[in-house]
Amino acid sequence: MRLRACVILFGFMSFASAGVARDTQESVEADASTRQVAITSSFTGTEILLFGTVENSVQPSPEAGTYDIVAVVEGVDAPAVVRKKSRVVGLWINTSSMRFMPVPSYYAIVSTRPVDEIADPKILDANGIGFDHIRMLPAHSAWNASPDPAELASFRKALVHLKEQERLYVKSEFGVSFIGRSLFRATVALPPNVPVGPLTASVYLFKEGKLLGQYKSRVMLQREGMERFIHEFALTKSFFYGLLTVIMAAGAGLAAAFAFPRAA
Amino acid sequence: MSLYLPIAEMSVSVPVFLLLGAAVGFLSGLFGVGGGFLMTPLLTFLGIPPAVAVATCNAHVVASSVSGAVVHYRRNNVDVKMALVMLLAGFAGTAIGVEVVRLLRKAGLFELTVSLTYVTFLGVVGTLTLIEGINSWRRVQTAGVSSRRKSGQHSWVDRLPFKMRFQRSKLYISVVPPMVIGMFIGFMSAIMGIGGGFIYIPAMIYILRMPTSVVVGTSLFQIVFVAAFATLLHAWQNQTVDIVLAAILLAGGVVGAQFGTAAGEKLRGDHMQILLGVLVLVVAARMGYDLVAMPNELFSLGSLKGS
Repeated sequence: MRLRACVILFGFMSFASAGVARDTQESVEADASTRQVAITSSFTGTEILLFGTVENSVQPSPEAGTYDIVAVVEGVDAPAVVRKKSRVVGLWINTSSMRFMPVPSYYAIVSTRPVDEIADPKILDANGIGFDHIRMLPAHSAWNASPDPAELASFRKALVHLKEQERLYVKSEFGVSFIGRSLFRATVALPPNVPVGPLTASVYLFKEGKLLGQYKSRVMLQREGMERFIHEFALTKSFFYGLLTVIMAAGAGLAAAFAFPRAA
Repeated sequence: MSLYLPIAEMSVSVPVFLLLGAAVGFLSGLFGVGGGFLMTPLLTFLGIPPAVAVATCNAHVVASSVSGAVVHYRRNNVDVKMALVMLLAGFAGTAIGVEVVRLLRKAGLFELTVSLTYVTFLGVVGTLTLIEGINSWRRVQTAGVSSRRKSGQHSWVDRLPFKMRFQRSKLYISVVPPMVIGMFIGFMSAIMGIGGGFIYIPAMIYILRMPTSVVVGTSLFQIVFVAAFATLLHAWQNQTVDIVLAAILLAGGVVGAQFGTAAGEKLRGDHMQILLGVLVLVVAARMGYDLVAMPNELFSLGSLKGS
């Protein structure tokens, strides 16, 4: 079934490319399979399918590797603090810390091969492609005036590492596959602890280290139903939410005490 | 079976947290402690963000201590007057504690102070409880009967002014020691974020010399108010209380507390002290180890809510 669809696409693509001039610039068009992800009480993470095509593809076969595709899915930016422990009179305690300007709360990157093989660090830095190239700036404040570059690098590395451990920063270096001369697809896993908020999906097209085009789309990630109601209640009517929690707790305690007469 | 938590923003397995609630609830009913000092580290270990864990475990403490306190109250094992005196002083202590926390944070000493007081406190209280438990166990072994409180004995406590009669505890003592203890516990709970049950119990037994039968019920009764106040404050000020997580934990907790209270009835006072002492020491040792041992991860992500 899928094979036949590919064959049909193959035919279509070769027909399309035959119609235009050979030197026409390639570009990329892409989208996500879902535009809206609802977070309900049964949410345990989900998967987003990203797919797209390379316009004017000159790739002879899906395996040729003429083009490199990188897809990045980012969650809303949020400030981050990284703390570091060191030994003080025999005790390990947090002694230093670094605050960062808002960084992506979630960052998933899939590509046809490791990003550092695809393009120059300069291009990667400019677009925030790859863990080592995400924009992470120290937040300047009175006590954090100008951090030492080596220290900044170590804190930055730690931030990425910690986010990776929480499964909020994920990468798949060979996660994008061409299923035709121009059609490609990739899947990105959203973990259950993904921060709620809009996601941005960016797809970049590279050829021989040059960025030929990019395409951005948005995926809404929002609470729905009971989750939404509780969250809004907790944030807007905090005092009554607290009171309700206490009443619920005390009520449950009383109920149990009376349900077990003479204490079991 | 899993459920998504609206405030913690993660999906958790319901049976695991029900069981956790029940286990801590059992210990709470058994020893008359809130169980916050056990619940908070366990929740964090299971991946709940620390700020949410600290705030939400208070709701569980409210439920299991209400559940246990009602049983003790029915058996006339709660000295309400003593509890109220200690509570009033406790709120004053908490207010002072909150201010001290602010100053310590400003000086950047908060983290160290909390870790050290926690370990020191749990260590000292655990050791004292254990030693006293072993001593009274020895007395029981040699004399055959448990030696009761020496009622004729006078100590420095009896020489203080402002005496008050506490009928339930059969005490006629100055209100100064209960107030100082209450204030101190309120102060500590502001700093360490715990109800302080494991401090109440030995303080009531050894300093106030209250009958052991009344101590557990009175301690639970006080913890209800301290924890309810903490839950409300956390929900109101920090928005870190997860009502869904609280519901799962306390559903297990109230049932566990009932069985714990029943089990406590059958447990001899000296055995209970030894067990509580061991439990507190284990937690202290675990925390002390974390402070001294080289951590495998030097860096940590600071939470954006709360500290």
